[in-house]
Amino acid sequence: MEKYDLIVIGAGPGGYPAAIRAAQLGAAVAIVEREALGGTCLNFGCIPTKTLIAGAALFRQMRSAPALGVSVEKAAFDYTAMLEHKRQVVEQLRGGVAQLLKAHGVTVFEGTASFMARKRLTIQRGGKESTALEASRIIIASGSTASLPAFLPKAAAIVESRAFLDLPRLPARLIVLGGGVIGCELACLAAQLGVQVTIVEILEDILAMLDADLRAEARRAMETQLKIRILTGKPLEQIKAGAQGVKGRVGDEPVEAELLLAAVGRQPVTQTLALDKTELRPNEKGYIDVGPTGQTKVAGLYAVGDVTGGPQLAHAATAQGLIAAEHAIKASLPRRSQVVPSCFFTVPEIAAVGLSEQEARRQNRAVKVGKFNFSALGRAVASGETKGFVKWIVDAATYQLLGASAIGAHATELIATAGTAIQAELTAAEFAQTIQAHPTLAEAWMEAAHAVHGKCIHAPPRRAPPGK
Amino acid sequence: MVQTVIMPKLGQTVEESTLVKWRKCAGEVVAKGEILFEIETDKAVLEIESFFEGTLLKIIVAEGETVPVMAPVAFIGSPGEPIPEVKPAPALRSALAKEGLPAIAPGATAGPSSPLCPSGFAGQAAARSPTVAKPSAAIVPAAPVLRSALAKEDPSSLLRPSGFAGQAVVCRPSSVPISPRARRLLRESAISAERITGTGPGGRIIEKDVQAYLEAQRYAELKITPAALALARENGIDILTVPRAAAQERITVEMIHQAIAEKPKPLSKMRQVIAQRLTASFTSTPHFYVTVAVDMTDLLAWRGKLKKEERPSVTAFILKAVALALKEWPALNSSTDGRTARWHSRVHLGLAVALKEGLVVPVIRDAEDLPLAELNARADNLAAKAREGKLTPAEMTGSTFTVTNMGMLDVDHFTGIINPGESAILAVASTRPTPVARAGMIEIRSMMNMTLSADHRLVDGACAAGFVNRVKSILQDLELWKSMI
Repeated sequence: MEKYDLIVIGAGPGGYPAAIRAAQLGAAVAIVEREALGGTCLNFGCIPTKTLIAGAALFRQMRSAPALGVSVEKAAFDYTAMLEHKRQVVEQLRGGVAQLLKAHGVTVFEGTASFMARKRLTIQRGGKESTALEASRIIIASGSTASLPAFLPKAAAIVESRAFLDLPRLPARLIVLGGGVIGCELACLAAQLGVQVTIVEILEDILAMLDADLRAEARRAMETQLKIRILTGKPLEQIKAGAQGVKGRVGDEPVEAELLLAAVGRQPVTQTLALDKTELRPNEKGYIDVGPTGQTKVAGLYAVGDVTGGPQLAHAATAQGLIAAEHAIKASLPRRSQVVPSCFFTVPEIAAVGLSEQEARRQNRAVKVGKFNFSALGRAVASGETKGFVKWIVDAATYQLLGASAIGAHATELIATAGTAIQAELTAAEFAQTIQAHPTLAEAWMEAAHAVHGKCIHAPPRRAPPGK
Repeated sequence: MVQTVIMPKLGQTVEESTLVKWRKCAGEVVAKGEILFEIETDKAVLEIESFFEGTLLKIIVAEGETVPVMAPVAFIGSPGEPIPEVKPAPALRSALAKEGLPAIAPGATAGPSSPLCPSGFAGQAAARSPTVAKPSAAIVPAAPVLRSALAKEDPSSLLRPSGFAGQAVVCRPSSVPISPRARRLLRESAISAERITGTGPGGRIIEKDVQAYLEAQRYAELKITPAALALARENGIDILTVPRAAAQERITVEMIHQAIAEKPKPLSKMRQVIAQRLTASFTSTPHFYVTVAVDMTDLLAWRGKLKKEERPSVTAFILKAVALALKEWPALNSSTDGRTARWHSRVHLGLAVALKEGLVVPVIRDAEDLPLAELNARADNLAAKAREGKLTPAEMTGSTFTVTNMGMLDVDHFTGIINPGESAILAVASTRPTPVARAGMIEIRSMMNMTLSADHRLVDGACAAGFVNRVKSILQDLELWKSMI
């Protein structure tokens, strides 16, 4: 029986930062990982998709480069080489995590952790040897998995996101079932590499969590620029999978492709934990309920990340993990920021942080909106990246910046400024006074902040000026 | 000619009303019959029409202020007409705070009797002992009653300044004059003028005073997020009073929201009445308490066998027993102001009824003459009306003794506070299976504790004990009950 101050189950973006923070605070820490350090994010999610998207986006940009006066003859890609690059990137980052854990003195156990009692775990590896660990504090950061829903037939032509990223070659045609973030990102990735993509979404629109103006802009770009066929409001029915591919119907329309990618949500990982050996029970949806410090209802047990429900974002899990570690080791009560950005690496890129317009409407909260189009920005016109806009959502009475969103080139980087301003509780006037460098895309935020007060310089007035 | 708009008197017992909303702004043109403002009495919010036409020249009573009925609230006339000066007399609430005495509205001694007091007694009591009987709206007519009053009477008679002598009491915070520049700085800094001493003429607060205050308070060292400052300004939160864990902690929107949520809000009129009357009673009446346990086993068993339609409630049995016992112990059916005693010839039983927002005490008049079935029916009826807010003032005034029954609330024992104008209250707790010694054996019996709170100025221990034991013996006298049904 090895004893630690803290054991973390799962070395994903929730777990490994928690382990490192606890070690920084002087605790003896062990971390258990059943598959690969870095978790889904590093190995099968964020990082590998962004690696492939980097290549796909460059390929698309090369083909549209003539508009800037540059022509690239016979632009081509080698998917096998792209996969190899992805493998190297993942390996490099995974090695980095291993080094960090080692440098902080965190003991890494490979294997599957399951509870023997509230403070005791057994680590199974390959079914034979097992190690028993004990700690008064345990953080569950076991994450989530993408699994194929039961209504889909079992066939080689039907995959979920993780298997999709390991395909040796891309299909000619692809059906993406589910128009959420993962579905749209992978659809855009494939479409940029020349795959004929059909997205099927049962809800009325794709990316339903976004405001209508962002959705409309994204859908238009995906349909016209990437020629993605988007079918919404109806389910995919009569699904048949064979050696040649997948067939089905969406309403009256037949859909057919060599491959179907199912991107219809992720399930929390709790089955292997043997929670029944503790007093802890998942909720009716299978998630582990936690309070703001990550504490579960059972003393000494914490949970962070995807297994707790919530936004299922790596950075949200990391923030939660750090707070749980601080609370577990020092009983400190750090404030958990509610300002969590979401970035969609679609074409165009989309990013949002804080309150959305539709959420404000649902809360019946009075807000004002300031919007600015990239087409009116010098830098955007210069680089031929004029599609899209940024917008602020501000409190109608105090003009506090409550939320922001951006759609267009580099939106995922631009959102950082907005998140900082919201976290700092700036008002629209205060932000508008912040000087932004010219010519940059960041100027859009300043102009949008002016727009809240109807004082945009680089946009026509909304109403005729007085006297005319 | 400038006309004075007054706070209308809606109902005999209404002494003061809160102006909740102005529907017109100063400077706006008002037509006869247009809704001018909204008021809140104890239970209802009502729209008040203008009896005059012209321009709303000046608003005297701000939203949220409570003033006595008939007090001027605004002036209507032609633009430019000189507006009469209204001297704010000491405000109701501030007088209360300073002197520690219940505030007395003008005309208190001549006012109508207080609903919780015996009918016709309040005025006399007030004359001698203002702490006992502050006439107030107390428990007032419910909304429908007020509306009907409004409908029946000519609105003009409601708004006409009848009897207004120009010296009404206006409840508003004492306002120190502040210069416009100082006011602007105060607002920009989200600071209240309360703790600032003015050095201008007549104690006027000028910009320099505010600057000096900000400096003394080291305002410049505060870290306030821009949105927090905007929110504090918007909601009138004094930024210097926002609690912080450490002096250098950044003041955030969350902290301002907390300060807004914790801002003292006025109690509902009903709670204010409860607060005033019960504080007056509890602090001026020497209470003492006597508890007895009543064996309810036989009565409950017999009651259970009665047909549903002729089965009185347990409360009805208690009320009947109390009414009978009071005839034998008249000291418990009396009241005193400390110098004189008043022995009531009739038994009017008050029955405390819990409402969502408070408590009312409807009165069963002449309870000693009512057969058990009638007593039961009246108690049920009054309790139902109380819950619907439909009691009339007459149904809430004039009780001589009060029963409060928490039997359904799972309690072992509690004590009541005597209603002003009475000498005792009986608090009835839950009936529970209890081991008791009977004829040398231990038996499980259904026991009910009841506690009498009595005014020691009129009632002594032996008398209180005699009375509660009489109530107990009546409740345990099964033969007596059998004869009543």
